[in-house]
Amino acid sequence: MVTGRVNHMKILMLTWEFPPLIAGGLGMACYGMVKSLLGLGIEIDLILPTKQATYFPLRKVEDVDLLPVKFFDTKQENTYKGLVTRSSNIVTGKTIKQEERLKLLGLSERPESYINYNDLKNYRDLIHYGTEKFYYAEEFSNYYQVDKVVTTNQEDQVFSNIKDYLIGDEDIFQKVQEFTIRATQMAQVLDYDLIHAHDWLTYPAGMFVKRITGKPLVVHMHATEFDRAGGAGDERIHKIEFSGMSYADSVIAVSKYTAQMVMTRYRIDSGKMRIVHNAHNTNVLEKGDNIRRFFKGPAILFLGRITIQKGPDYFLDVARLVLEKHPQARFIMAGTGDMARKLLYKSAHYRLKNRFLFAGFLNREEVESILSNTDIYMLPSVSEPFGIAPLEAMAYGITAVISKQSGVTEIIENAFKIDFWDIDKMVETICYLIENPDISKEIGHKGMLEVTQIRWDRAAQQIKEVYEERLQDHSESVLNGNEE
Amino acid sequence: MLNFVFYFQVHQPYRLKHYRVLDINRNNNYFDEKLNAEIMQKVSRKCYLPANRLILKLIRQHEGKFKVAYSISGITIEQFKKYTPEVLDSFKELAATGMVEFLGETYYHSLASLYDTEEFLEQLQQHRNMIDEEFGLNPTVFRNTELIYQDRLSDLIYEEGFKVILTEGVDRILKWRSPLYSYKNYSKTISLLLKYYMLSDDIAFRFSNRSWPEYPLTVDKFINWVNHLTLSERSGKNLFLNLFMDYETFGEHQWEETGIFEFIANLPSAVLQHSHLGFAHPSQCYELSNYQQESLSFPDPVSWADQERDVSAWVENDMQQNAITTLYELLRVIKSKGRNDLLEQARLLTTSDHFYYMCTKYFQDGDVHKYFSPYDTPEQAYIYFINALADLEERINEQ
Repeated sequence: MVTGRVNHMKILMLTWEFPPLIAGGLGMACYGMVKSLLGLGIEIDLILPTKQATYFPLRKVEDVDLLPVKFFDTKQENTYKGLVTRSSNIVTGKTIKQEERLKLLGLSERPESYINYNDLKNYRDLIHYGTEKFYYAEEFSNYYQVDKVVTTNQEDQVFSNIKDYLIGDEDIFQKVQEFTIRATQMAQVLDYDLIHAHDWLTYPAGMFVKRITGKPLVVHMHATEFDRAGGAGDERIHKIEFSGMSYADSVIAVSKYTAQMVMTRYRIDSGKMRIVHNAHNTNVLEKGDNIRRFFKGPAILFLGRITIQKGPDYFLDVARLVLEKHPQARFIMAGTGDMARKLLYKSAHYRLKNRFLFAGFLNREEVESILSNTDIYMLPSVSEPFGIAPLEAMAYGITAVISKQSGVTEIIENAFKIDFWDIDKMVETICYLIENPDISKEIGHKGMLEVTQIRWDRAAQQIKEVYEERLQDHSESVLNGNEE
Repeated sequence: MLNFVFYFQVHQPYRLKHYRVLDINRNNNYFDEKLNAEIMQKVSRKCYLPANRLILKLIRQHEGKFKVAYSISGITIEQFKKYTPEVLDSFKELAATGMVEFLGETYYHSLASLYDTEEFLEQLQQHRNMIDEEFGLNPTVFRNTELIYQDRLSDLIYEEGFKVILTEGVDRILKWRSPLYSYKNYSKTISLLLKYYMLSDDIAFRFSNRSWPEYPLTVDKFINWVNHLTLSERSGKNLFLNLFMDYETFGEHQWEETGIFEFIANLPSAVLQHSHLGFAHPSQCYELSNYQQESLSFPDPVSWADQERDVSAWVENDMQQNAITTLYELLRVIKSKGRNDLLEQARLLTTSDHFYYMCTKYFQDGDVHKYFSPYDTPEQAYIYFINALADLEERINEQ
């Protein structure tokens, strides 16, 4: 029976982002990983921060795009089906778009797991929770008190962390509370072998589920609070990250860089750490000459959240210096974030004319479009646990200039790796590439060939091994009667 | 004699659409035609058509004694032709009465006078041609965009054959003097009429403001104020009460329900009851000024906007300055390369409103800016504008 379970492994996966609605780094990583895990025959019940109590039962590879949805409340399910039918055109038989369908579930469009907590006012408009949030906040504290499971001292410690530190008036903390309660309730009804939680936002949920069901917990570290904050960050989040990783049976880090950080800053037992580098699934057709380019001059792209972590101010400084030498170049900053306005003013202050452009938030299709029009990709991150975006850019044959403080540099050769603070070196490199377009193209081409080898199937295989390892231990402990 | 000089500004910009980086070299139309059509139709229905009907009625009723002046930007006339031709017809009907004066301005309602003299003169000529074509008139009075004026400008305008310039009655220039007199420019070549901003703004801005102590503004009250202004008319001097405002005051900024139309409908007969009060066209200041006109110097540009009465509403912050200098640079390149196919689109970007939308002055004036802007934030306005400039430049380099 135990081996049978391993063959038809079923995972409860908790994450905050998933495409098509949320196409941030975490969302893209989960997408690629889930797709390949499904390809390996692993079944996944996915729980996302939907407004409605729903989960996504993913059974076959296509489900990663179809996202079949199940409601816990049949009344809600009927209402939802009614809405979907009404929004679809009966005459033409055209069904509504996936994105619209997910909006009906109350999934928000933008990544929010990495927002700056000082800048939450802007987000308040996006989040329509109304009075519900008070109800859930109260329920959360009751939930914790009512549920008296016998725990060890260490467990007590980590759970009191969660209880104490998941308190805050900010919407994100409220949302995490709600997610935790909902996911925990759903997890008691669903059937699965192992819990896999991504980033701190879902760690409390993963921990509660493990405690209630006794099933093994794997937590995935895509980014620590130190990375996001570009400094110490929010202590409450450190505590939650620490508790999640301490309570988990395995911790997956997306790079050596991140594993190092987890070990030195959180003192997590290296014995349960596993490194699984992210990958990408970009498929690019050879760029034909018939593509109408946006820009005739060289185009240099920044693509990511405009937050301190990603080093957008270094990008601007580099742009200013490169433009002095090569005024025909164009710098495009794509993304949104709390530093966007500051950078906009600064670019105007430097009088960068129409050479420094802001593309705003781009959806998947638009990202592809801008990548096919880019010559040089810059990722000047101050601290980047991994960085899938440069892989995608390289898959387009774009030459990448990446900060040394990025996990992705561990697995690629054909890219320029420069300290994020070394503006002179970056300027020198970009000028060199502009002045030597043939060399730039050649490096881009080599990079493209290189990254075609970095696929999610390989990463998924490694993740599956982590699952198997945990399930093996778990079944042994059950057989030995050590289960609580 | 105190002459009421009414001048109404008629202007609608071509608003930019949300023009994104991904539109560059893909989509060459920068303007939101749907929005521009909607606004023109709405403002025509609420303001231009009923106001023109009313003015026409008043002109006929008072048989030559009621006079007004209009300045209509070229791009507004274009939009009338495209979206509401009946408005243009009604202006032509007004012109035919002979009691309406049309003023000269830049075709694109631009800030060219501050950035590019050659371009300014070309736009001025383009506007002159259009007024001649549509109304068969040749303006002798000039009003620059947003009443922007400085000494330098008067020399150009004089050379272009104008007799009078309208501008703002700025306190820091007038000091102890009254805006009721007509003045001369610094080199004494051309006459100046200065907006009486207190009384103009009582109508244009404060008319429906219930927290204003003088609310509600009645014709009697207004005439009473005016009568208290005119001590010197007894010495036989011809003075000018310059009431300059957006035409959209009537029915659009001040809704019909506020009684703004009744106010204007009843004003002329109340004015004409007094023998020392009357109406004049701005061009008449030349013949009517029966005293030595004092010369005034405006070393720096003034305007009728905001508390500052300077050009800071359009070209103060970094976004505005980066945008406008880049635009005029491109305009020069387009001309030097003889790219006449791109000239029109570049000129449509010179309209002052684009820079007004990028204004970040908040507090009191910010509200006014916000009211007029089709964008959520000044930053958005800037981004779309700069993207359009990037497209324009890509097309210049195409050949």
